[in-house]
Amino acid sequence: MRTIALMLSLAALPVLAQTQSKGNPPNLNGAWAVYRAGRGAAADPKLAAPAAGPMLLKSPYADAYKKRQAAEREADQRGEPLGNRGTLCIPYGMPQMMSAIYPLEILQTPGQITIITEAFSEVRRIYLDEPQAKMGEVAPGYYGHSVGHWDGDMLMVDTIGIKEEVLGFRSMPHSDQVRITERFHLAAPDVLHDQVTVEDPVTLEKPWTFTFAYRRTPNYHLLEYVCENNREYLDDNGVTRLKLQDH
Amino acid sequence: MTTLRWLGPIALCGLALPVFAHHSFAMFDYDHRITLTGTVTKFEWTNPHAYIELDVADANGGAKHYSIECASPNVLTRLGWKFNELKTGDKVTILVNPLKNGKLGGMMEKTTLPDGRTLGDGNPPGGRFDQ
Repeated sequence: MRTIALMLSLAALPVLAQTQSKGNPPNLNGAWAVYRAGRGAAADPKLAAPAAGPMLLKSPYADAYKKRQAAEREADQRGEPLGNRGTLCIPYGMPQMMSAIYPLEILQTPGQITIITEAFSEVRRIYLDEPQAKMGEVAPGYYGHSVGHWDGDMLMVDTIGIKEEVLGFRSMPHSDQVRITERFHLAAPDVLHDQVTVEDPVTLEKPWTFTFAYRRTPNYHLLEYVCENNREYLDDNGVTRLKLQDH
Repeated sequence: MTTLRWLGPIALCGLALPVFAHHSFAMFDYDHRITLTGTVTKFEWTNPHAYIELDVADANGGAKHYSIECASPNVLTRLGWKFNELKTGDKVTILVNPLKNGKLGGMMEKTTLPDGRTLGDGNPPGGRFDQ
């Protein structure tokens, strides 16, 4: 009984009290590339990212998602692939940017962690030991508003304020009420895991969890990426076409 | 002299998916490749993709012009390419996955440079990685 009362009183504490860092944070500074079996450093299956959990969408989102996937497969087989925002060189945003198709860089500075991706030069800023804003108070964007704190050697990050139009990981549909929580930790001195949980009361039956794994690439300097010469365009049917140079 | 060589379908095993950055590449025919030998008219070191513009002589003394898409400079750099690897007038031989719609363009698979070096595009044969 006393335990329950204690739990209730803890739950009633303001959010700020739960977001103060404790412990000595590990050093995450530097460049990281996807940790993948068979490429780069020898991959240890124990360090690879665990398989993603099931993405359980509510109806009618589940039906629309299945239809779109089937249409994409059919279009690919026809040789007329359907395009999306990525085709138009619109940056990924959260959480897709963390899939790090090209390496990313983490900068740890007092009170802030900054993540820069090579693809599309995307930047997200995680403010440490600050309270999260209320849902609906953040102007929807590609990276939203991220706050974080260290819990021992685990970096906990909470992100809200992601625009509906931003394509989710694996094209998961989401509303403007989506919340992304991340747990970063070193699975080995040079292997970083980012366990991502996406919650969305509108589109998801239950939270969806998946993990990205990265290996440290100490001597790598990120390259620039400016999408200045996109020759792919979408025709009136949404099909990806390549602009050829007339000669 | 134009070399136009069609290779047979590439056998694929397992679940095979193209691994690319920003769009599906199903517009290219990964079951066939053509070898194009010609003269570079432009090399664009740009994102989201680099491009090689190539004039390929035809049998009638004219030339056909091909636009050949490559990976991004980011991927090409990691494969050993340099921003100034090709210049206008260079004679090169390029293995290409052609456009399925028959237009004169395709996806570069590997390029033999004027000095004889061969640089790839990051794609395994057939343009797909087994997953």
